[in-house]
Amino acid sequence: MAGFAAGTTRMSVEGGMLMSYVSVNHELHNMSDATVMLAAIKAGDSNAVEELLDLVYDELRRLAASKLALEPPGQTLQPTALVHEAWLRLVGNQTPAFKDRQHFFRACAEAMRWILIDRVRHKHRIRHGGGYQRVDFENLDLAAPVVENQLMALNEALDKFALKYPAQAEMVKLRYFVGLTNEEAGEVLGISVTTAKKYWTFSRAWLLNEMEREQGDECS
Amino acid sequence: MNDDEGREMAVFTEAIKVPLQDRDAFLDLACGGDEKMRQQVVSLLKAHDRIGNFLEDPPSEASIE
Repeated sequence: MAGFAAGTTRMSVEGGMLMSYVSVNHELHNMSDATVMLAAIKAGDSNAVEELLDLVYDELRRLAASKLALEPPGQTLQPTALVHEAWLRLVGNQTPAFKDRQHFFRACAEAMRWILIDRVRHKHRIRHGGGYQRVDFENLDLAAPVVENQLMALNEALDKFALKYPAQAEMVKLRYFVGLTNEEAGEVLGISVTTAKKYWTFSRAWLLNEMEREQGDECS
Repeated sequence: MNDDEGREMAVFTEAIKVPLQDRDAFLDLACGGDEKMRQQVVSLLKAHDRIGNFLEDPPSEASIE
């Protein structure tokens, strides 16, 4: 199984830019190669999903930090572009099979979601199961507290939603956190674009209803 | 997604296509006495009617600075 493409060193610091994060004590064993992991996922190894998630999360954080360090303050990041770039870095020049791409995007959706949640909790270190210590970047403050609260509320609603409607919850993650269109998300999930649109319409109503219900409970 | 959830989504998906004045009659027919499901679908329909741009703009665009 081929490794990373030449030049994609996982531990490299992009452009020498300063990053205020610490990645400590993570054991890079022979599963660290993304392509090996993807193959393991296909073979049904559920640990491999976790490991891929770690890898994607890490890569997206690095990309996010390096891009922010390079750009003037106040610039925004394009989530889809980030995901595509992370994909290229992880898998290099190989053309991934459809299944690999599917798994990658789903992992990315989770990764993006947790990156955002991480930043909402940016004042605290979060201990991750794999032995990482994730420290958030000081300059990645969310624009307004209300945005943070909404994100946390959405996240809770999404977790509840996923218990009853797992496929639909995946749809939401792919659209909202990765920025895929209905067509692209449908392709990743293996559903028709018509079904994807139905899922999306239903999901938005369900989540809005749930978030308002929760808010109402809190206020009463 | 179990059967109840499948029905709930199916009823919702059809109900949004039905003109507002016919919605109650449609729900009576589709929910067939299942009051709990009817209430849930009504909630969902109310949310749908107010959906606007909810979730249409990805969070990262606005919030990563």
